[in-house]
Amino acid sequence: MGRYFPLVWKNASRNRRRSLLTISSLALSLCLLGLMMAIYHALYLSETDPAQALRLFTRNRVSITLPMPAFYLQRILAVGGVKQAMEFQWFGGAYKDARDPKNFFARFGIDPNKIFTLYAEMRMPEDQKKAFQSERTACIVGRRLAEKHNFRLGDRITLQGNIYPMALELVVRGIYDNELDPESLYFHWEYVRQAMPGRDQLSAISILADSPDSVPRIIHAVDEQFRNATVQTRTETERAFGLSFLHMMGNVKLILFSICAAVTFTIMLVSANTMAMSVRERVREIGILKTLGFRPSAILGIILSEAMLIALMGGIASYFLARALCGVIRSGPAFSSELMTLTIRPQVALVMQLAAVMIAFVSSFVPAWSAARINILEALRRTD
Amino acid sequence: MSETVEAMSETVEAMSETVIDTRHLTREYSRDEYKVVALKDACLEVQKGEFLALMGPSGSGKSTLLYLIAAMERPTAGELRVLGQDLNRLSDGEIAHWRNAHIGFVFQSFNLIPVLTALENVELPLKLTHLKKRERHEHAETALKLVGLSDRLKHFPRQLSGGQEQRVAIARALVTDPDLILVDEPTGNLDAKSANEVLEILAKLNKDYSKTILLVTHDPHAARFATKVRYLDKGELLPEGQKPAD
Repeated sequence: MGRYFPLVWKNASRNRRRSLLTISSLALSLCLLGLMMAIYHALYLSETDPAQALRLFTRNRVSITLPMPAFYLQRILAVGGVKQAMEFQWFGGAYKDARDPKNFFARFGIDPNKIFTLYAEMRMPEDQKKAFQSERTACIVGRRLAEKHNFRLGDRITLQGNIYPMALELVVRGIYDNELDPESLYFHWEYVRQAMPGRDQLSAISILADSPDSVPRIIHAVDEQFRNATVQTRTETERAFGLSFLHMMGNVKLILFSICAAVTFTIMLVSANTMAMSVRERVREIGILKTLGFRPSAILGIILSEAMLIALMGGIASYFLARALCGVIRSGPAFSSELMTLTIRPQVALVMQLAAVMIAFVSSFVPAWSAARINILEALRRTD
Repeated sequence: MSETVEAMSETVEAMSETVIDTRHLTREYSRDEYKVVALKDACLEVQKGEFLALMGPSGSGKSTLLYLIAAMERPTAGELRVLGQDLNRLSDGEIAHWRNAHIGFVFQSFNLIPVLTALENVELPLKLTHLKKRERHEHAETALKLVGLSDRLKHFPRQLSGGQEQRVAIARALVTDPDLILVDEPTGNLDAKSANEVLEILAKLNKDYSKTILLVTHDPHAARFATKVRYLDKGELLPEGQKPAD
């Protein structure tokens, strides 16, 4: 088949504009397919970071948006295998103009004396840690968030609460580095608690297990402890907790699968149309090849190869496009820590190329088969 | 497959000098409820080294006879042996191989592949052989040189005149050194000068290289280049020396 490659190449490039458009549409569609697969892989299949593997979250069993009593924290600390536990309270609120998406970032109320134990991967100079821990209105911000808003040490940040009707006046006392969480703001939850003494409730409690073996035991023990309480809990891994935010949008897996299926089907139609047009234009030439002694199998192979060549070019372009898009997503708003490491892994790249080949095969087989079986004289009589 | 081809080659060698042998060859077409007889009881013998012109008006059956000999379609009745091979016994795949090995074909409308250069067009039938790339190039260059186009190797069909295109087509037909060259109205799309050049090449191939050529034409001038002429009329092959009545 290799000796037919020059013919395959020339056929594929005979109508450059059409081939380029087909390659582009394949590249864009396969890029979207690859991106969806990469997101799926990152969210559901990638290995958990060792630090993350020890962390759990407890929340209201009914919904993440409903609170639970703050005293649960003390009860959880008493559970065997729990090394540390801390309130992890979503504050919400608005920074400057809330309509500007740039001003949206995560703000959590935490315990400044525990956070660096629970999140050991957060790196910050010791003097900044101490400054943060010693001042009730202090806050720390992620490096990327600081760069985005030009926050510097000593800057004042005002958050206008919506869940909590108060204005939170904060001072930046530290800038931390954490690849998994570069765009959050953390402040003393005690500050809010003191300002609003009646609201002794929490929406989430972050737990650090003493070993990976303790994780399933803690999950069971914590939830069992509140089984008969008014507010029951759900304890889950940090990843599952993060995903529960995403699942508020709907069935993410189904959405991802639906997009993948729609993209694959659409591009198959586009590709089939292109190949059908391409073959239809060349029926006479196929007749010539047959006259010269080309067997139907050779004709079939040539046309299928042509489709696969175009599809593979689209597939390769889609890989680079998807990689670039992953970079854009990584540098975008940090919706999920899993997406902070989003990349096109080799297995996803392979699936993209296999999808390209499969699309080429399915879309070109019928026109190629018809061309291979066409009667020579009928083919030679075609004038268009 | 190779055994079949070897057997075919042996048959060819074993044959005397008869290249084409048809007995009561008939071809009918069905058009709705009507049957159209395109060729009826055609008995033809062509010997090796002959240059036979088949003449006749449009619809006389000359092209049908040519296509049957080239195994592009199958007869409705009768016997057909080409190069000693009973073509009715071969499968489509075997016929394709046989055609590549033994037949060269020249069309009225040149039928070159537009995206390939003259050299690549001529090289195309050799891609089905076991020749290496360098050998294929050498053979194609030789064939183009033979038809006087050694200076047009890299030209695409659109960069050639009609006469040159037809010469490329002849080079493609003879590059596999076929036993039989079938030519269908080769001068129909050419001016008088180019037509003469093409016909002279065919005559030279017959005279200098003993190529057996079957030329289908309705042009008496073209037929004059052949060594023998047979006429067809209303689907019937007339006896040697007999012309259709006006």
